[in-house]
Amino acid sequence: MNNKGRMNSNEIKIQGLLDVFLRADSKTNSFETTSEHLDEDTLTSFVEGNLSEKEAYPITNHLVSCSFCRHITAELIKLDYAFAEDTQMATVSEAEPTKVADVLSGILSRIFGNSDSAVFAHQEPEENNPSDSKKDEEK
Amino acid sequence: MSPDSVIEQEKIVKECESLMKQLYTECFENAPNFGVREECFKNSLTTSIKKYLYRSPDDNPTLEEAQKFLKSIQLDDLFLALACANGNERAWWEFDQQHRSYLERVSRHLASSDLNAQEVVDLVYVELYGTRVVEGERVSKFATYSGKGSIRGWLRTVIWHSLVDLHRASHDSVSLDEMTENVGEGHAHSNFAEMDLGGEDQMMDQVTKDRYRNATVSAIQSAFTELDSHEKLLLLYYHVENLKLREIARLVEVPTSPLRAWFQRKSAAREKNPRSKIHESTIMRWLEKTYKKVLKSFQEELNSKHNLKGEEIDICIELATQDLANPNLYQNLATN
Repeated sequence: MNNKGRMNSNEIKIQGLLDVFLRADSKTNSFETTSEHLDEDTLTSFVEGNLSEKEAYPITNHLVSCSFCRHITAELIKLDYAFAEDTQMATVSEAEPTKVADVLSGILSRIFGNSDSAVFAHQEPEENNPSDSKKDEEK
Repeated sequence: MSPDSVIEQEKIVKECESLMKQLYTECFENAPNFGVREECFKNSLTTSIKKYLYRSPDDNPTLEEAQKFLKSIQLDDLFLALACANGNERAWWEFDQQHRSYLERVSRHLASSDLNAQEVVDLVYVELYGTRVVEGERVSKFATYSGKGSIRGWLRTVIWHSLVDLHRASHDSVSLDEMTENVGEGHAHSNFAEMDLGGEDQMMDQVTKDRYRNATVSAIQSAFTELDSHEKLLLLYYHVENLKLREIARLVEVPTSPLRAWFQRKSAAREKNPRSKIHESTIMRWLEKTYKKVLKSFQEELNSKHNLKGEEIDICIELATQDLANPNLYQNLATN
């Protein structure tokens, strides 16, 4: 840290002591979290700053005591920074849509090999009603 | 949750129904062929209200807060996710077109090899579609997305978790700590920084040293505990997670960030201009202020609780500084 010029010697020393203390404490005590880890949705909302102060309060408390979740949020912040320049948006091509079943069959084949068990049994949901089909045609 | 709270919760949800309907109509107009039904959409929003606004039994949000919450949802992303969760072909195609390359880039950035990266993308796709069936219904990962964050941010987090799972699968005895530190950039910062400091004071006997060391650990612990949650978290991000000042600045910079709101309260100038940019120097100044605060609290604790005089407090700090060359010593004391 390059701010030592503005701090007195005791402040610099307390900074070093705090650094060692926090690292040591994090490696020993902070994993003893009793509550469940935060889910992906909550982690994302926090990192993106989409929670109000009231909504974020319990999350912040959790992150102070749970190094597992805190480490994930820190890595997500780093990722967010690394990808900040990445504004390139994929354009939607006008090609014929690939069936989701085809995409997933390919993936499962790669994971499990080209056996029969890798065939993905995709089913369209039964709830599709005639009006939906009509709208599909319109599009 | 008390029966009264449940009734109040249901009342708030009921009062939000017209807004939910309005939001659904907007989404449906944008993507009529996604096949998302109004009931499904409302269920998702209701689940999110309960999850975020009723996190503790004491939470009692107002109707305005609930409506503000709903308006903050990233609706297009949520609509796409719901459609994908339902297995809608068009939605999956759009998802694949818009987000696959991004998934691959993030995965390549995080994974140790291209092979791992591809494996993670494959696993994420399978998880997103859902191969598990519960009570006759396929469980899609998309169903857990609330729209509170962006879908890309959520995907990044899903990839992260998949990488951790993949690492765990191949390293049975690895702790959660080691696992998370070995994924992404964390592994680069896992060692203590060693400081080049002077030798020990030979004149001081071991008993006195231990007394001062114990008092020092107790006082630093107490000083840290007295900070508020935001201060603690930012110190932990800086010292333990090795976030750089610019990365912390970015986290705080998001206009809606609760951490930014906290910074603004601390800065009168920023209150006047809430959209002003937060620079690394701002974070640095904030850290300096926090160190001053910790030092003050640390000295007060040594004085009031351990009855140490100014000169002894200086010895504690000096001794601690010398001991920093051997951080394990403080690690051991911290566990006592």
